[in-house]
Amino acid sequence: MVSTFASMADFLAPAQASFPEAMGSVTLAHYLFVSVAMFAMGLIGFLTRRNLIIMFLCTEMMFQAAGIALIAFSRFYLHHTGQSFVIFVLTVAAAEAALALALVVLLFRGRESLNADQWHSLKG
Amino acid sequence: MALPRKRVNPQIIGGLVAAIAGGLVLIGLGIRAREVEGGLPNLYFYVFAAIALGASLRVITHQRPVYAALYFILTILSSAGLYLILAAEFMAFALIIIYAGAILITYLFVIMMATQSPSEEEVDVLAEYDLQAREPLAAVFAGFLILGALSVMIFTGASKLPGSEEIRAQAPHPDHMLQLLPRRVERVLQDEGLISGRERIVREARGVLSLDPEARTAIVARTVDVDGDPAGGFIPGSEREIALPDHLRARNVESLAYDFLNRHPMTIEIAGVILLMAMLGAVVLSRRQVDIDDERKRQQAERRLRDAEEARL
Repeated sequence: MVSTFASMADFLAPAQASFPEAMGSVTLAHYLFVSVAMFAMGLIGFLTRRNLIIMFLCTEMMFQAAGIALIAFSRFYLHHTGQSFVIFVLTVAAAEAALALALVVLLFRGRESLNADQWHSLKG
Repeated sequence: MALPRKRVNPQIIGGLVAAIAGGLVLIGLGIRAREVEGGLPNLYFYVFAAIALGASLRVITHQRPVYAALYFILTILSSAGLYLILAAEFMAFALIIIYAGAILITYLFVIMMATQSPSEEEVDVLAEYDLQAREPLAAVFAGFLILGALSVMIFTGASKLPGSEEIRAQAPHPDHMLQLLPRRVERVLQDEGLISGRERIVREARGVLSLDPEARTAIVARTVDVDGDPAGGFIPGSEREIALPDHLRARNVESLAYDFLNRHPMTIEIAGVILLMAMLGAVVLSRRQVDIDDERKRQQAERRLRDAEEARL
C-alpha cells in the first residue's frame, strides 16, 4: 500500500521526462484514463442497476472501454494487432448481446419483469 | 488522485462532482503533457472524451432503459471519434456500423419488447426496479476500488513504457505495407504513367516488392511476358529506379487487414466458432417458444374444425 501511494506521488510529480508522447500532446495516459473511467462506470452500473437489459448494456460499456485502451496502445506502439483484437472484441460483444438478449426475452416471458432481484432463485 | 464517480440520488450534485473530477484529471494530464512537449492540446480529444464519459454516466443513471440505450449510442459515437483521432479509421466505422447500427438496435428492440405495456391511465409509470438502485454505496465503493487500482496500475505502467523515440525507431515504416501490395502499387503507377504496361516492380524474396518506403523509390523492370509470372520473366538490365507518387500510401484498412489475416489467422477461426455457438445458443433458447406456438396453432386449428362441424350440424 505504501509503495502504491509512493508511485502515485511519482505520477503526480510534474517532472517526468520519460512520459510517452507518441500521440502528440494527448498522451497514452489520457486515453487510458478515459478507458478506465468508462470501465469503472460500466462496473458500477452493472452492480447497481436492477434492470437486466441495462446490466447487459453496462457489460457492453466495459467492452467498449477495453476497446479504447486497445486502440490507444495500438496507436502508441504503431502496431495494428491492437486493432485486430478490437475486431475480435466486437465479435465477442455481438455474440454476447445475441445470447444475453435471447435469455432476457426468455426470462421476461417467464415472469413478466426485468427485475434482476426476482431471479435470485437462479443462485443455484 | 481525484477519481470519483457517483450514483443516483443527489443526482445533479453527483453528476457535477463526477464531471469536475474527471475534467480535472484530464486537464491535469493535458497541462503536464504540455509542459513536457509544448504545443496545443488536441481539442477534439477533450470534446470526445467528455461526451463519451458524460454519456456513459447517463447510461448508468438514467431511469428509462430506452434513454439509457440511446445514451450508450452516444458513447459509441464519441468512442468512434476517439478511434478516428487514434488513426484507426476502419475500426471507427466498423464500431459505428456494428455497435451503434446493429447491437444497440437489437437492444432497443428487446427493451421495447420486454416492457410491460402501460395501461391507459398510467402512461408515464416507470418500473420500480428502474427507479431504485441496488446497493449504491457498496457498488460505488467497488467501482472506486477498481478505478483506483486500474488507474494506479495504468499510470505506473505507462510511465515505465518506452518513449516514443524508441518505439518509432523500432516500428516499421508506415508505408512498408506497400511492399506487400503489388497489384495496387502497380496500378497506381500505371495510372500515373510512371511505368509502361510491360513494366513491373522487381520482386525480392517471397514476393516482396523491391520498394523503399523511406526513400519512396521502387525498382521496376520490363517483363518478357505480361500475362506470365513477372518474377520469372524480368529482362535483365532493364531495371530503373522511379520515385513513388506522394499519394501512394499504405492505408489503415490495408495494414489492418494484413495484420489480421497474416498474423492472426486463428482469430478468424475462433471468432467463427464463437458466432456459430451464439447462433446455436439463440436458436436453442428460443425454440421452446416456437413449440408452444405450434401447440397453440394446432389447438386453434382443432377448435376451428370443431366450430365448423358444430355449425354444419
